[in-house]
Amino acid sequence: MKKIKHFMMAAVALMVAMSFTACSNDDNNSSNYERYQQEVNAAVNRQKSSNKVILLVAFGSTWQQAYDTFDTILDEYKKEFPGWDVYLSFSSAICINQARAGEHAKDPDTPAEVRNYYDPEHWLTAIGKANYKTIVVQSLQVIPGEEYRRVRDSYVKDFMNNKNNDFTEDYMHSIDKQVAVGVPLMGNDDDVDALANILVNESDIKSMINNGTVVAFMGHGNPEDYDYYGANVRYTELENALQALYPKKFYVGTVDMPGNFVDDVYDRMANRDGITSGSVQFYPLMSIAGDHAHNDMADEDDPESWYSLFKEWGYEASAYETIYPKSAACYTKYVAGTDYIPALGERAAVRALWMQHTQDAIDAIENGDGLSTPTTEVEEE
Amino acid sequence: MVLMCLTQTLSAQDILREDSLQEVVVTGTGTQHLLKDAPVQTEVINKQMLQNYSGQSLEDILGGLTSSFSFNEGDMGSQMQMNGLGNSYILILIDGKRIHGDNGGENDLSLIDPHNIEKIEIVKGASSALYGSDAIAGVINIITKRHDTEGILLENTTRGGSHGELRQHNGIALNLGKLSSYTNFQLQHSDGWQNTSREDPRQTEFLITDSRNKTVNRHTNWQVSERLTYSINNHIELYADGSIYRKRIYRPSGHHPGVDVKTYDLRYNNASVSAGGKWKLGGTDLITLDVDWNRHAYYYDFTDVTLTDGFHNGQPTSYFPYYPGQSQLQSDQQRTMAHLKGVFTLPADNRLSAGIEWRYDWLKAPNRVKGGKATDNTEALYVQDEYTPLNWLNITAGLRLNRNEQFGWRLTPKVSAMVKAGDDWRIRAAWSQGFKTPTPKELHYRYVRDMNGTYLFLGNTNLKPQSSNYFSLGIEYNHGGFSATATGYYNQVDDMIALVTIPNSEAPADLYTQYLPLKTRQYKNLESAKTYGVDVNMRYRINREWTAGISYNYLDTDAKLYNSEKDILQNVVIDGMAHHKGNCYVTWNHTMKNENTWGAGVYGRASTKRYYQLNGNGKGYNLWRLTGNYSFSLKHGKQRPLTFNLEAGVDNIFNYIDKTDHGLHLGTTNPGTTFYAAFTIRFNHGKKLFNNYKSNSLNQNNNEEN
Repeated sequence: MKKIKHFMMAAVALMVAMSFTACSNDDNNSSNYERYQQEVNAAVNRQKSSNKVILLVAFGSTWQQAYDTFDTILDEYKKEFPGWDVYLSFSSAICINQARAGEHAKDPDTPAEVRNYYDPEHWLTAIGKANYKTIVVQSLQVIPGEEYRRVRDSYVKDFMNNKNNDFTEDYMHSIDKQVAVGVPLMGNDDDVDALANILVNESDIKSMINNGTVVAFMGHGNPEDYDYYGANVRYTELENALQALYPKKFYVGTVDMPGNFVDDVYDRMANRDGITSGSVQFYPLMSIAGDHAHNDMADEDDPESWYSLFKEWGYEASAYETIYPKSAACYTKYVAGTDYIPALGERAAVRALWMQHTQDAIDAIENGDGLSTPTTEVEEE
Repeated sequence: MVLMCLTQTLSAQDILREDSLQEVVVTGTGTQHLLKDAPVQTEVINKQMLQNYSGQSLEDILGGLTSSFSFNEGDMGSQMQMNGLGNSYILILIDGKRIHGDNGGENDLSLIDPHNIEKIEIVKGASSALYGSDAIAGVINIITKRHDTEGILLENTTRGGSHGELRQHNGIALNLGKLSSYTNFQLQHSDGWQNTSREDPRQTEFLITDSRNKTVNRHTNWQVSERLTYSINNHIELYADGSIYRKRIYRPSGHHPGVDVKTYDLRYNNASVSAGGKWKLGGTDLITLDVDWNRHAYYYDFTDVTLTDGFHNGQPTSYFPYYPGQSQLQSDQQRTMAHLKGVFTLPADNRLSAGIEWRYDWLKAPNRVKGGKATDNTEALYVQDEYTPLNWLNITAGLRLNRNEQFGWRLTPKVSAMVKAGDDWRIRAAWSQGFKTPTPKELHYRYVRDMNGTYLFLGNTNLKPQSSNYFSLGIEYNHGGFSATATGYYNQVDDMIALVTIPNSEAPADLYTQYLPLKTRQYKNLESAKTYGVDVNMRYRINREWTAGISYNYLDTDAKLYNSEKDILQNVVIDGMAHHKGNCYVTWNHTMKNENTWGAGVYGRASTKRYYQLNGNGKGYNLWRLTGNYSFSLKHGKQRPLTFNLEAGVDNIFNYIDKTDHGLHLGTTNPGTTFYAAFTIRFNHGKKLFNNYKSNSLNQNNNEEN
């Protein structure tokens, strides 16, 4: 019996030991968020030269051409809005992580570009902490869909509600009606016509049309469950506006908008408009040319890409062009005359339309139409 | 008193055991049978084969010595397939108990110490009522070494090889009469390797030739396990065991965002505790009870600043930062099981096995499961009868009744029959139904992976359980030293759960907006899936020294998925499937007058093209291996307490390297020619306890080893 007792005790001791080891927790550091915030605060403090700030918010990318495009957008904004500090934010955590990491950054022979885009949450807190008095958040989205909603109804709203209690009441009071959100590229009804007019006058697109090529744009689109009135419909409106200028020459489809996938574009082209052959040129209707443009649109090895499908349907399909002017291309490694997919953000006239929205937001603040903070609302009552 | 050393290869009895026909198997029925008379077709990798082959891991052993398996050692772990069906359909048992350790459907085979394997038994199809009907592809039963010597046994194996390969196996066995203890420590390390630094240019922005993505990442894992056994008397034996295990996969970071930039390593923490007992009722009747608890936890160990999902001030945020040196739990899976089983001899040539099993699964994944947690509970009741009405006929029939808290009751029958035609021929036929409910992971889990573009992986709460019908018909011929089996199999899996690419528009709104995935993949029930083919195995023991073997597997699959967007049934490739696979070997073993032994072997394995839904097919390959071993022992009086074993070899002697661009599927991740050497030292002091095989079979005259 003694042996049994010892055996049982040993077994129990073993189980207890195992359980203890098994329950070790991960060492989350609750001050991580704050530590990261300090880094963003420092970045803002380093760059702050004004009391007015424009925060550009894009989804983000990991493509070099996209980084170069964002650089251009940022530079152009700084030129266009002297007296304003301009920052660029990514809303995709993965894109932020990928842009700022890299083993080669530590290797002196092959230094990597390390880019700190930061997310809108930390940016806005840092902007508040830096005591900016006028704040414009500009969406770099194309349509007022889900992503834009997140910018307006999540990041900016949380900031205006002082959700994390980061700011004093005085500060919240000081920014009352001093904050505005710039709408996306096709935020307003008028924008559709404006964008159509810009696109048909782009030298490369114009040249395609003049050569008898049909042009199809690929937008992103929102899935059905979370479309908002005024979001997905913009693609259809843009196609109508372009068709009004050049009938049967322009189509606008999407990656994710139900009823406007690639086969719907084909349906309109072939069955509605009777174009069943000839050359078709694709362009991304996105601020940057990244994964979707190069894969969903242009990948010749993917049988589901626009390029492959249109080729299969009997068209001379082309997703790349060789006539994009070097002076216009943002991608620094672009060699004139080689294959290129220009994004909307690379077209100066398109950038000007985004900037117009930023100006509209500034005007709104000046006209007293900026966003309110709850603190002030209470005082107004 | 006859004192013997443990080195079994030296004993006359064991030389006899080298003959595969004398092999005793348990997996098919849960009761002991001679291999040649096993009612359920069983493939065996025996001790001699293991010793000759000197496999570095279970993957290496199964891939090198049978043609039924294929592996893809990827950066996230090893993916295994058995006759075309993946990891989640393969039940891996250690000494009859199921292992736990699943990540994305992948069993972590490093949980098994390759140097502590006595033999491996493989049974295909959901053929056994005993282990669970979820073994739709089959069962691999790893039988560990029995340390059945009174006294003390100490052993150490150290193995080193190319690419920083290091293996440690240390065992201490103590046998103090009624109480025995076995402690095992194993360590496995590899520096990993890179077959190509070129990325698939079709998936990247520009040609990348300096990628730091490895073909197989550097990894280290270790495990400590302890087993205590206590025999109260000749009838009752109790045991308790436990283990802890850690694994870390190191992921180097390059400087191409979205391609080879990595900001975290992967870590797995496992633990297990179990206890139970065996009550021998006399003859071969017995009752066993096992209760066990297992944990498999998966962490990110951050190597660079990483924003990820988390909480700030109690509110969820997509931008919670982690810093190098910190960890984040991704998933914690815990399983608790209890299993009561009895085997009873019944009148009229029947043997009944019956049991009841209870299983509770608990999954915690704060950022990967809605609400953070999911659970599952299953109970099963089974009976199996082995009926041997005639010397030449055995019928084994089983019924397993499953009850799952979410999916209700399901009865799965299994029948197999063996007909003996003289001493030389055996014909076996089997029909078995399988049933597998969706796992909490398949139902609820979701994650994002950045692989040249963001991929969103989703669970699916609308999944239905999978069921299967497995049919096999085999013929076996044994004569002299020659044995051959040919088995045709057909496995029809209804509502098979597979990860398939779905339109992004079907992804949940919040995840879609957060990640804007390039591709979304989700677990779906396929309309139908069939895998079918033929296994052929031949082994010829030419004389006491030479043995040759060949095995071949033909496989075809046919799977269909309903495409809701196009309203059509479309064919789906079962990822990793290859039509033809084969293995062959020739081994030589020589025992000298002084009882020292020499051994050598040449092994070949080959596969044709492997098919995948995305990112290209894997190229066909053939790989060859040369091995050698030498064992000697030191005499001390009449004992040989010290035994040494030296193994060395060259794998992939023709230096075949699949240099397919990273980002595409490889046929094999083998790094090219590699060398290894292993040295084992074993000290044994004590008396060998005889623990002979007792046939459970009812026709002792036909079956008994003599």
